[in-house]
Amino acid sequence: MRERKSVKFNLQQQHQQEDQNGHLSPFKLANLFDPDASWDKDQLGDILHWIRQALALICGLLWGAIPLVGGIWFLLFVVLSSGIIYGYYALILKVDEEDFGGHGALLQEGLFASVSLFLLAWILVYSLAHF
Amino acid sequence: MASALFSNLKYSDSLTLVGISVSTAIVCEAISWLLIYRTASYKSLKSTIDKASKKLETMKTTGSNNPPSNILKSKTKKIDRVETSLKESSRDLSLFKFKSGAVVAVVLFMVFGLLNSLFEGMAVAKIPFVPIRLVQKMSHRGLHGNDMTDCSMTFLYLLCSISIRTNLQKFLGFSPPRGAAGAGLFPMPDPKSN
Repeated sequence: MRERKSVKFNLQQQHQQEDQNGHLSPFKLANLFDPDASWDKDQLGDILHWIRQALALICGLLWGAIPLVGGIWFLLFVVLSSGIIYGYYALILKVDEEDFGGHGALLQEGLFASVSLFLLAWILVYSLAHF
Repeated sequence: MASALFSNLKYSDSLTLVGISVSTAIVCEAISWLLIYRTASYKSLKSTIDKASKKLETMKTTGSNNPPSNILKSKTKKIDRVETSLKESSRDLSLFKFKSGAVVAVVLFMVFGLLNSLFEGMAVAKIPFVPIRLVQKMSHRGLHGNDMTDCSMTFLYLLCSISIRTNLQKFLGFSPPRGAAGAGLFPMPDPKSN
């Protein structure tokens, strides 16, 4: 089993990569699935945020189109999206969560916005497609 | 043909609501950029917070496991100093954004008033589950009848605001720095720019 790797903080590299808006410059897409890539806390947080939003949109559209009705499907979404996020950073990226503030900090990245986006998509598609 | 399809949808008002929310979010972020994000003060404070939080993390994660007590004391003092500086910068940032955010708050208030007048008492969508009682106070606000799956304008607008504005701020890079106080659990759309 591969050892969990620690994050490497490279302040000089970050300063070089930052543009005027304070964004970090785009990284290679291949790094998204590369366990050997080193991650900055902000970069990883942003990735997890956008993955959650994509999952929220897809699930909301799907749940609304089928349609899936009932509060249990809301809970299922929360569990599913959290499970996918956990699987991504723990099993694919193999990051050491202690370097990023623990599981809580990583799992809550983008959670609130994704729940809102999921509910919005689910409600809209359900209302428009089935009434 | 599109307008005929649009008018045939029972809950077509929800699309109008989403459209207004998207437009409002764009306008609010434009105002925020004009009054807050492009100013030198904001950029300076944000940079200070970013540097301080990164410095704090580095200080907390580096160092030997059993340092001598005098070195540990000195390190703890340094960490406290950086933390105090970070808190002060975060407070200054919040104060700065609060003053400029009043304009955005007025815009949001006016938009909400407009939506209220347009959709008051109307179910704009259907919720695919019965919300918990606490949420029903908002989701069924102003609606008649006992069908708790009817969705009021207020609830849908709230969902639009949170999801669209948070992601728009994130996309544009206007989200508060992660090191800033209060930027942790459940990050809402930056309230100080509301």
